Amino acid sequence: MEVSNTELKHCDLVAVKGRVDSSTAPQLDEALKAIMEKGRYRIVLDLSGVEFLGSAGLRAIVSAYKTCRRWNRGDVRLAELPSRIQGVFDLAGITPLVKIYPEVVLAVGSF
Amino acid sequence: MLRKYELSVTSELDNLASIGQFIADTTRALGLSGDEAFAVEMAVDEACANVIEHAYDGKPDGTIEVTCYLEEDRLVVTIRDHGEPFDPASVRCPDTECSLKYREVGGLGLHFMRTLMDEVRFEFDTPEGNVLRMTKVRH
Repeated sequence: MEVSNTELKHCDLVAVKGRVDSSTAPQLDEALKAIMEKGRYRIVLDLSGVEFLGSAGLRAIVSAYKTCRRWNRGDVRLAELPSRIQGVFDLAGITPLVKIYPEVVLAVGSF
Repeated sequence: MLRKYELSVTSELDNLASIGQFIADTTRALGLSGDEAFAVEMAVDEACANVIEHAYDGKPDGTIEVTCYLEEDRLVVTIRDHGEPFDPASVRCPDTECSLKYREVGGLGLHFMRTLMDEVRFEFDTPEGNVLRMTKVRH
């Protein structure tokens, strides 16, 4: 799994590629924490390259979401979910609760 | 003769990728659709992560044996370990209707297994160890 971050004017764009399971989810968790520790709480997650996402990866995303949403200081928004990965969010009941965009540029522009 | 696929790995989290690849390859070889194969891969990943983290308490020196085969109209996957048993009834189902603010962290893996597979059955402390059997009816 690879996680890369780009600091943009109004948010951080985090691209995740590969397999996010219990082995690799801690890396994603750390990458998101590193952003939030800088006081940056507006994050777009580009999931277009994600091949697999299990419950551990979901937990990392939800944890960052909760931290960013605290005191309305920010948000975690998702973009370009492959259809099977969208299915994982549906299965967990998370889809109605987070903002999901068909294109990264729309997610970034929403902030 | 019905082909039975088997894989044995150590209880290291890094082996989840090998298990995933094994399931992806064997489910496709056994004729499951892409979506069915993905569902099985997810359920097996959750089950094996639980074995590593709970049955073996995170220690990498245990073994996990995964088998995959067809039985009548369904795919059968078994996962065997020799670690500590646990009581699946004690794991609360996550409330997927609940807002994320109050959502509890645990239980999502088991919820996925039960939702993605048609049957999830645990047998603990058998002479062969703990065995989890999951099936998926083929369409």
